[in-house]
Amino acid sequence: MRFLTALLLSAVLLASGDARAAGPQRIVSAGGDITEIIYQLGAGDRVIGLDSTSNFPADASEKAQIGYIRNLAAEGILSLQPDLLIAAHDAGPPPAVEQLRAAGLRVEIAPKGDSVAGVQEKIRFVGTVLELPEQAEALALKLEEDMKASLEIAEANTERPRVIFVLNTADGAPLVGGTETSADAIIALAGGVNAAAGFEGYKPMSQEAIITAAPDVLLMMSQTVDRLGSIDVMLSRPEFQLTPAGRNRRHVAMEGILLFSFGPRLPQAVRELATALQQKDG
Amino acid sequence: MLDARDITVSFGRTTVLRDVSLQVRPGELVALCGPNGAGKSTLLAAMAGDFPPARGQIFIDGAVISTLAPAELARRRAVLEQSPSLSAGFSVGELLSLSIPRTVPPDRAAALIAQKLHAVGLADRIHDTCQILSGGQRHRAHLARVLVQLAAADTPGTGYLMLDEPTSSLDIAHQITTMRIARRAAREGAGVLVVLHDLNLAAAFADRVALMHAGRMVAEGAGAEVFTAGRLSAIYETEIAVEHADSRTPRILPVYSPDAHAGPDL
Amino acid sequence: MAVTTTLQGRAAGILGRRPLFGALVALLVLMAFAEVALGPVRLGPSDLLKVLIGEGERGPTAILLQIRLPRMVLGLAVGIGLALSGCALQGVLRNPLADPGLIGVTAGAAVGAVGVIVLGNFFVGDLPAVVRPYALPLGAFIGSTLVTGFVFSFSSRGGGTNIAMLILAGVAVNAIAGALIGAMVFISNDQQLRDLTFWSMGSIASGNWMTVTVTSVVAVASGLFLARMGRILDLFQLGERAAFHAGVDIEREKRRIALLTALSVGAVTAAAGPIGFIGLVAPHMARLIVGPAHRHVLPAAALIGGALILGADLMVRLAIPPTEPPIGLATSMIGGPFFLWLLMRRMRKAGGNA
Repeated sequence: MRFLTALLLSAVLLASGDARAAGPQRIVSAGGDITEIIYQLGAGDRVIGLDSTSNFPADASEKAQIGYIRNLAAEGILSLQPDLLIAAHDAGPPPAVEQLRAAGLRVEIAPKGDSVAGVQEKIRFVGTVLELPEQAEALALKLEEDMKASLEIAEANTERPRVIFVLNTADGAPLVGGTETSADAIIALAGGVNAAAGFEGYKPMSQEAIITAAPDVLLMMSQTVDRLGSIDVMLSRPEFQLTPAGRNRRHVAMEGILLFSFGPRLPQAVRELATALQQKDG
Repeated sequence: MLDARDITVSFGRTTVLRDVSLQVRPGELVALCGPNGAGKSTLLAAMAGDFPPARGQIFIDGAVISTLAPAELARRRAVLEQSPSLSAGFSVGELLSLSIPRTVPPDRAAALIAQKLHAVGLADRIHDTCQILSGGQRHRAHLARVLVQLAAADTPGTGYLMLDEPTSSLDIAHQITTMRIARRAAREGAGVLVVLHDLNLAAAFADRVALMHAGRMVAEGAGAEVFTAGRLSAIYETEIAVEHADSRTPRILPVYSPDAHAGPDL
Repeated sequence: MAVTTTLQGRAAGILGRRPLFGALVALLVLMAFAEVALGPVRLGPSDLLKVLIGEGERGPTAILLQIRLPRMVLGLAVGIGLALSGCALQGVLRNPLADPGLIGVTAGAAVGAVGVIVLGNFFVGDLPAVVRPYALPLGAFIGSTLVTGFVFSFSSRGGGTNIAMLILAGVAVNAIAGALIGAMVFISNDQQLRDLTFWSMGSIASGNWMTVTVTSVVAVASGLFLARMGRILDLFQLGERAAFHAGVDIEREKRRIALLTALSVGAVTAAAGPIGFIGLVAPHMARLIVGPAHRHVLPAAALIGGALILGADLMVRLAIPPTEPPIGLATSMIGGPFFLWLLMRRMRKAGGNA
């Protein structure tokens, strides 16, 4: 079944290979997930400007940079002479968006989507706007398929390890992802349990709370680990030493953008994390 | 007339002035003397309208001082504080022009400024910033400012001039000059009140002397009557002799005894 | 001892002040024109003309009338309001290092704004729909008014306004505001944190004509009242007691300056976020050019403040398009080194007078 879908997708992509001049040609994209979707639909060459959260794929750094998605500069964007601004749900500030519309720019704001269904909705939305509906449909289906496979791997892990995600440490207490965070969501999808479920958002967690939470695995972004030097800098802290994660040296480092994109690479992120969680030793 | 009647002033629980009365008439120079802490500056401040007395009243030309707005008061009296200060880089001329209301035409203003600067001997410094003047020169510039304030006022009469220890930081020559200026202001019609530490200056220049001690007015009148050896020695708690070379101007001579042990106030 | 002659000493002495003011006005007009005519989007003279006569195309019209023009107007209001308030505060406090932030205006505005950003979900829904888009500037303005009012009433307990108490109360209030903001930062989510960070760096890119108009009216009106206090501020330089002797109702004037400063700085901070250094730097530049008399310094500072803000805004708009750094960075880059230079100059002067 998956083979058939892949075949169908390739066929559709090949068929639309020669760039048809329909749809927006000078696209400014804001939002890492939206940008990824655009590239996955094969329209990456139409992108002329990106925001600071759009770091994937690699050639994204060659595009003009429009700043942080919640603090856009209207006139700056207009100077790129785009014919479309497509942005994630939290684009702002609202007056800038108004000014862009008033100047005649087409502005499309994607729906919010933190779940598999949400990501599919985003894909279909982008597809409609870019006039690539078949590619979008194929991508959405592929996402569903890949997601099923990744979830199977996740469910195969009967251990359901307790995972603690540390965002960074600002010299003081480590900043840990509680509920209502992307970390919480991806841990759940990958078959783990968020050890830090007592609070919302990213908060500093006290030593005692970490010990009480008794995480089995420490999860961090690989760029944070690089900055610290090695993951042992975190694991050797006294509060972690007294946790199963510290004693067994069980840790996972993954690329931040992959981990939290909630875009087309969500199945890949879940699969990688689920696989990593199944390893019992550090 | 500037008329303080039976005023009592307290700061917190300390009574600084007790039932003090003093009058300053137009055309006369009154010297206010007494030991440190006697209340001289407080009396001058009260008569300048800085604060209302706890008891008693102060009248300026018949009006109760506390009922007059600051601008109205400024038209009737000018005050030179003990340590005048200036926090901006004004020139001498600009400093004096601060005291001239906007309603005065510019040529009259310029004439006034020139006249008073000449009176204090700073006519050639009109464009210099005050900051480059010496301490004494700065003091004289402020004195000129205060004279300009009175002269520029458009009220009938010539107002009251109140100087708080104007000579304390000046050399002998400038002390004499300042007192001559004060006396001339009185001769031109102003009522002049001067707080002085130097008893000889007071005796030489004042028409009347008021002597204070511990918040009370001890004696008032001509210098020869007020400055007696017995009274001064008692008030200042140190031996003071008084010579009466002529009947009008006594000479106050403190007995120094440099090798005697320090007095009771140590 | 060297006599430091200011530009004023030489130039004004020779030319009189009118040409200097003419030059400042011309500078401000040039900046205002540049703010509207220049930008990341290149608009030629024909585009500008077409928009002026009402026949512009959609894009240039929106850019000129909805993006650049409100920025220019708000920028003028901010520059004038901050400069005049800074000048008046420096005059009444007799301290050339005084800044409107001393009396707690900026801290109050920040507490109000951060409060709306972080806690807004709890009450913005209860506000009438008309008011909702203005919740942020309104919250900031209410915050600044409450804080400044508290600081002033606190330092006026003993009868008159005690300047030393005012500054100390301002310090305490700034600290408390910092703690409140810290607490709100702690409970904020990622988005709110980013939003309040950007707010605190300042921006005149409001784009909302209602906010711009209200802010400008308040700032310019208070500014006009402040600008007429030249002689009174000069007399304050003699010290409060001597100013009273010279005829100034010092309590009334202190209250007046407090009120006008709170209004104008509160309004511009509510609309543009905290923008530093203009209130400190513009009066000093003015003094260097036109001399120490406040009746000259006040209007000159207003002109310079407006030109500085517009200049800073031009910088951030043209530096690295299509992004736009916050205007607070540009004003700090100008203000910081200038402040250091000021301090050096004061130290040299004090050393020379020893």
